[in-house]
Amino acid sequence: MNAAPAQLAGYGETSLIDPFEIFVGPVFEIGARGARRFALPIDARHVNMRGVIHGGMLMTFADLALGQAAWDACDHAPCVTLNMQSQFIKAARVGDILEVLPVLTRRTRSLMFIRGDFEVKGEIVFSVASVWKLLGQD
Amino acid sequence: MVNRPPGIPEDAQIASTGGFNHYVGPLYRLSDAEDGAVKRFAFAAAEQHMNGAGTVHGGMLMTFMDTSMSRTSRLISGATGTSTVSLTCDFVSPAKLGDVIESRVRVTRRTRTIVFLSAELVADGRVLMVGTGVWKTSGTE
Repeated sequence: MNAAPAQLAGYGETSLIDPFEIFVGPVFEIGARGARRFALPIDARHVNMRGVIHGGMLMTFADLALGQAAWDACDHAPCVTLNMQSQFIKAARVGDILEVLPVLTRRTRSLMFIRGDFEVKGEIVFSVASVWKLLGQD
Repeated sequence: MVNRPPGIPEDAQIASTGGFNHYVGPLYRLSDAEDGAVKRFAFAAAEQHMNGAGTVHGGMLMTFMDTSMSRTSRLISGATGTSTVSLTCDFVSPAKLGDVIESRVRVTRRTRTIVFLSAELVADGRVLMVGTGVWKTSGTE
């Protein structure tokens, strides 16, 4: 277990299963199921040669956080990402804490539409809209 | 010769020199195709790239998409730096452990400060992911 940094008092570590998410984590969360807010403390592994968080790490955190929200919304039924649209609005750097409260826009029998605005100190730096497929549902 | 994972050609160049790319890599640049119109990159899916369902994590595929397209934006613009402005990824089919995943990047349009790109990730002739995106260039060599 990793302790949350001081700025994230009250947050707990998100339980991760996927080896790639464990490899790039940890991430932290606060709030009840279905309304969890996720936080990534950006460290030296996550950035490019300019010290700015890599777009791939942003999208990985989005897949993780919005995937957790998808899981909450479908009672842990198996689901996969179909599409992710990402806007890279402003650079975030080592030491910044990136936070998102995913929003379920709509759920149908087989699809979930989930978006998220990712903030550093209350300013949006990255924004995502995604579509998820519930496996085994037509 | 440098050791390469199975399926990565001996003449492939390391494209992940530092930072996050190095942490999740190695990522390779392959020789161009179609007289330079297609820039090619590759990586071999390893244990740390997987998800709990036993397929390659979408975040790793999007990372590889972003890295290969960003590198292409610098190659074709001559800019010293480029930033991803927007990227859309469609998750077409899953990839598995040991797959050699290739990115094929094409230029849709280049203006003075903007590059429009499209790319697909393929393994064994199967399309895994399709991406389109916009890059902003800064500085020229």
